[in-house]
Amino acid sequence: MKKLLTISVLSLALFSQFALAAQTVKATVNGMVCAFCAQGIEKKMRALSQTQDVYVNLKQRIVAVELKDGQNLSFDTVKDLIKDAGYDVTGIEMSEHPVAHIKADMEAKGAK
Amino acid sequence: MFNYLKFWLLGCAILSAQPVLAGPMGFNESYMVMGDFNNNWRESFINYAITPRDAFGVSATYMRSDDRSKTRTLEELTYTRLLHRWNMPHAQANLWFMGGVGALQGENKGLNRDHDFDKVMITPGVQFDYETTRVYFMATHRLYRTSNLNHDYSAIRAGFSFYETGYDQTQPWFILETRNMNGLSDKVEITPMLRFINKNFFVEGGVNNFYEPRFNFMYIF
Repeated sequence: MKKLLTISVLSLALFSQFALAAQTVKATVNGMVCAFCAQGIEKKMRALSQTQDVYVNLKQRIVAVELKDGQNLSFDTVKDLIKDAGYDVTGIEMSEHPVAHIKADMEAKGAK
Repeated sequence: MFNYLKFWLLGCAILSAQPVLAGPMGFNESYMVMGDFNNNWRESFINYAITPRDAFGVSATYMRSDDRSKTRTLEELTYTRLLHRWNMPHAQANLWFMGGVGALQGENKGLNRDHDFDKVMITPGVQFDYETTRVYFMATHRLYRTSNLNHDYSAIRAGFSFYETGYDQTQPWFILETRNMNGLSDKVEITPMLRFINKNFFVEGGVNNFYEPRFNFMYIF
């Protein structure tokens, strides 16, 4: 009985972690040097129905798109939008951190 | 305070735009409004990007010679094309084509009588720019031609930002520009300017080597 209870608690804890984890598409972008010019990327990303929040970091060349709960966004869509805005994607990955966490992490490292 | 406000409102009201600021067009399906103003050169300009590389627009330009004996007013339809873009890890370079065709109204003041004329003017040109988060360089050459008239325009700009800023913050820059318009001025205009770039706007202002004010802006929406 005790064993069953332990398994249940652990499962619940793991499930809760999974359920709370954000899904953020994080792209590394070449050529993104000016906020005035890069605003097109942010506007196109925010216009997507799946988008919860967007973060752009010029120095680290990062565009992070946090998704709403239960939403999916393909890497190809992100790449195409960034390319349409005039930039090149050199790397792309999925992060379980929300945009706020990624922003805080980069600013803590001194990268505005 | 009122005089200060009046000065800027006056500047905005008669503003005009040689498209030589950052890039001469915005992102796909965006409008770009630009203005460039000083005593002898005033231009206002708006274009719409129909693709990531092509924009069409309209422009109105007022030009005047140093001795004020010649004035030109040009209304034109414009086309801007991003010919090539180099995206590097921490830099971007662009080669642009900018061109237009429009109606030119000219006036040459004479000792005995003034001479007015209307012509069709074409204005093809190219621009190259290179930019990082800390340095900026731009060179442009644009033909302003019609029969018996040559007002070709050349400009070079270079500058640096005072410090790095975040994407949402306003970044101050120092920019030095040299430019000349053939047939209207024998001199080279040199203008040191302060530029402020935010993701939503771009403004810059300065005083040229003839002690005349200069103000530029850009806005994308």
